This record gives sequence, structure tokens and C-alpha cells, in this order.
Amino acid sequence: MTLRIVVVGGGAAGIGAAGSAHQVDPEASVTVYTEFEDVGYSPCGIPYVHGKEIPKFENLFLQDKAFYERMGLDIRYETRVSKFDLAANKVTVEGEGDVPFDRLVVATGFYYGDPGVAGTELEGLYYVKNIRQAMEWDKVFDNAKKVVVVEATPLGLEMVTAMAHRGLETHLVDPHPWALAEVSDPDIMKPVMDSWSEMGVISHYNTKVEAFLGDGKVRAVKTSEGELEADVVVICTNKQPNNRLAREAGLNIGSTGGIVVNERMQTSNPNVYAAGDCCELPHGISKVPIQGLSGSHAYAQGKVAGTNAAGGSRAYQPVYVPWGMVAGKWMIGGVSFGETLANALGIPFVMGVAQGISRARYYPDMKPVRVKLLADPGSHKIIGAQLVGGEGIKERCDFLAMAAKTGITLEDLATMENVYSPPIGALNEPIALAAQNGLSNVKKS
Amino acid sequence: MPFFEWVRKNSEHYLLEASQRDMARKYLGVEPPVSGASLEAIFFRRLFVPIYRRIPWFIRRAILLAMPGSHRQEWAGRSPPAKPN
Repeated sequence: MTLRIVVVGGGAAGIGAAGSAHQVDPEASVTVYTEFEDVGYSPCGIPYVHGKEIPKFENLFLQDKAFYERMGLDIRYETRVSKFDLAANKVTVEGEGDVPFDRLVVATGFYYGDPGVAGTELEGLYYVKNIRQAMEWDKVFDNAKKVVVVEATPLGLEMVTAMAHRGLETHLVDPHPWALAEVSDPDIMKPVMDSWSEMGVISHYNTKVEAFLGDGKVRAVKTSEGELEADVVVICTNKQPNNRLAREAGLNIGSTGGIVVNERMQTSNPNVYAAGDCCELPHGISKVPIQGLSGSHAYAQGKVAGTNAAGGSRAYQPVYVPWGMVAGKWMIGGVSFGETLANALGIPFVMGVAQGISRARYYPDMKPVRVKLLADPGSHKIIGAQLVGGEGIKERCDFLAMAAKTGITLEDLATMENVYSPPIGALNEPIALAAQNGLSNVKKS
Repeated sequence: MPFFEWVRKNSEHYLLEASQRDMARKYLGVEPPVSGASLEAIFFRRLFVPIYRRIPWFIRRAILLAMPGSHRQEWAGRSPPAKPN
């Protein structure tokens, strides 16, 4: 009998799940429901089209609809699922009625947190998510002069940088003392914030949004520090798991609001899997569940969920969360904990910081690279890192995530071998310098 | 909002807020303003955060891990982690 697999959600997790399910069992019927017009594109690229680094939105499409048809996936576009009936193994689809399944993959993604102030119904408030809407908003930006970006989250950093690149008068309003304060440390973010000032961005930290003002269309943002005129407001609040259907169906939800899953991405119902921003995963070091990771996490989780839903066997692992991005004129990144987050959680740590360089000192376009390592004070194993620099940040974050995952110590990193070639690497690797400083701090403590 | 989600949301928010104040003093040399004086804010700022910070890490960790969530499911594939003491 043909296995019926229903995937709800057409983002990275949903498409990853559908593709791997089809690969494991080519005879299975795999149906994907998405409320949007498209799948198979990179929403993460949208800020860079707005910022004019990427010339057009069409470049963000990885595959066209015909590709998925040829693959044998049945994708129902602009089709909303309104209910999961897990007792009867069926979902209710608007316009189609009840659709039975043998396995369900929930990949319903996220929504932006409600700013919780008056005026959210006004026109001119932009939530960056859907590529078709982004195309329309891009035309709005053509005629805009003043943009306010609300909250310096990862997307907020990208949109501030994009708006400044585009030459718009850009204001950032953030309730924290520095940008990306829930993830990153102030010493890491300082070069970014300074570069925004050089680019003309006007940042308002320690400032809360109190209301969006306007008559039908937004004209200003009322903040705790006064009013800011705005033609467009870009809302970049934290991502919240989109779990209404899962919650109503009785699936177990964790303390983050994400769906509880095991290493097979299986939920509390054995026929139901979940992947991506709608579920929560244990952190590799603290074991505390976390939610709202990157597109690469979502895609990998989707592949695990799809494989297992189709009868295969694949396990996901706790996450160490390497991250990185371009913000202002800098690249920033990290792994697991920064100093702010470790201090908040109360995890004991020792720290080593070093300022190195990305290439030989004499080679053109050499860039600074600042590395901050956090290690367990007893074992000296790496538990986190934060980096800022001109290049080579992503690769170092990927490496340090593996270092944290495999239990590498400050001693290991302090004596690591490194590539030395003037155009691509300096004599002294900044990670090794930071680890050496960390060991000095261990001796002092 | 279910109880454990309420605890997680607020404890995370106010512990981060306290840590951000520490970091702002250390790196920026400023004292961020405190805003909001709801009963919830008063409870978490004046009771929860100071008490949490006095509890030894191994007890805090045990409490964190006792919360419901994905971490209490089967994760046999995990590699040996760097455990904080």
C-alpha cells in the first residue's frame, strides 16, 4: 500500500522533508501544502535584494515549480491547512476538505512577535518573509525616504544595513543597550554600530516603541524617546514558533513554545514529525531547549523528519548553533554562548580574547579578526565563542562549533596548527591567540 | 500562556536584562535605564534574578533540565559535550 505523507509548510524544513521522504520511498505519495505562492527560494536573501547587493528577486529562486513536479512532489500552493485531526490521521485543507495521511510532517515555521503596541493595523508596516510581498515592498522603498527598523535582531541587523546601502534615511529602534544584545556582546558589536554611524544610520538604543502613528498609513513611530517620522516601518521582532495547529491538535509543546521532538524529529504522536522554526531542540552544551535557529538547521531537520516519516532511519543531534552575518561594514558570528548569554544563564566560564589579522600583515586588504573564546573553567573545553572581523568569520564559527561539539580544549586550540599563506592567512591564527590568552587567564584565576 | 512557557519567557527576559546591564557597565561604561514596573517585572527583577544568581550552577542546571521539553526526549546520537561544572 502506498504510504501517504502530508507535509504542512513549504519553507526549508518542509521542502527538505518532502525531498528526503521521496528519496527514501519513491513510491510514497508526498503532498506539500503551503499558503504561499512559491517554494524553493531563499527568503534569507531578501534583505540583500532590498539593499541592492543582489540585483533581482528572481536570483533567489533555487528551483522552479516544474522541478518539483518532475521530482514527483505534489505541491499545493496558496492552500491553507486549518486543522490536524490526529485521532483520525487526517488534516483539514481549505477548499479540499479532509485529507488522510499515514505520516504528517509539521513545518509551519514562525511568525514575528507582536510588537504589542497600538497601530499595528496601519499600512506601511513591513514583515520580511514572503518573496512576492518583498517584490512589492521593494517598489515602496523606491519612493520612500525615511525607514524605521524595529529591533536589532539578526534580521534587523540585515535590514538596517540594507536600508543604509540603499541610501534611505534609516533609524534603528531597539530596547536594549546595544544591537543584537540577546545574542552578542557589546565589544563584538561596537565596530558594527560604529560602521552604521559612518553609513548614516541613526540608532536609538534603550528605546521602546510605544505606538505606530498614522491615519490608515503609518507616518511616524512613537518611541520612549520621542517621535520618528517614517514612510515604512520594518518590523524585525523575534521569531515565534507558528504552532497553533499543533497545539490545538494536542501535540506536546515545550517551554519555548516550540513543538517537542526527539532525535528522529518525531513529536508526541508517533505518526507526526516536526522540523524547523516550529519546534525546539536541545542545546548541545546546556541541554536547555532552544528555538528559532537558521535556515540550514531547518533544512537539515526537515531531511531527518522526512527520512523517518518515509520509513528510513536518521537522527538529528543537539545543536551548538554556529551563526554569522554581515552587519554594517563587518562580519560577526559566534557559537553557542557569548559572554552576555553565559552570564545570564549563570554558566561558569573562563574567557580568552585576542585581536588578530586575516592575512599577512603586509598583504593588501588585510582585515582585523577579533576572537573571544569561552571555556569551561574545569575541563577548559570550549563552550562558546564570539567573533567580529573583516573576513573569515563564517569558517571560524563553523570550526569552533565542531570544537565545542567534540570537546576540544583551550590547550588544543592554543597549540593548533594553522594555514599560513600571505593572501589567505596570517602567521598567527587569531583563534590560537585567543586560546593562549584564555590559558593565561586560567592561570591567573 | 501555559505555566512553563510563562516561566521560560520571563526568566529568560529578566536574566538577559540583568546580564545586559552587567555587560553595558563593563564594556560601554553606561547604566541602561530600567523600564516597566509591573508586578511581574518587580517579581522577576527583585526576587527571581537575585535568587537565581545565588544558587550554585549545578542546582540551577538541575532545575533547568527538569523543565519539560525536547531535551527530555531520546537524543542518543549526541556526542560527548563540553559540560560546564
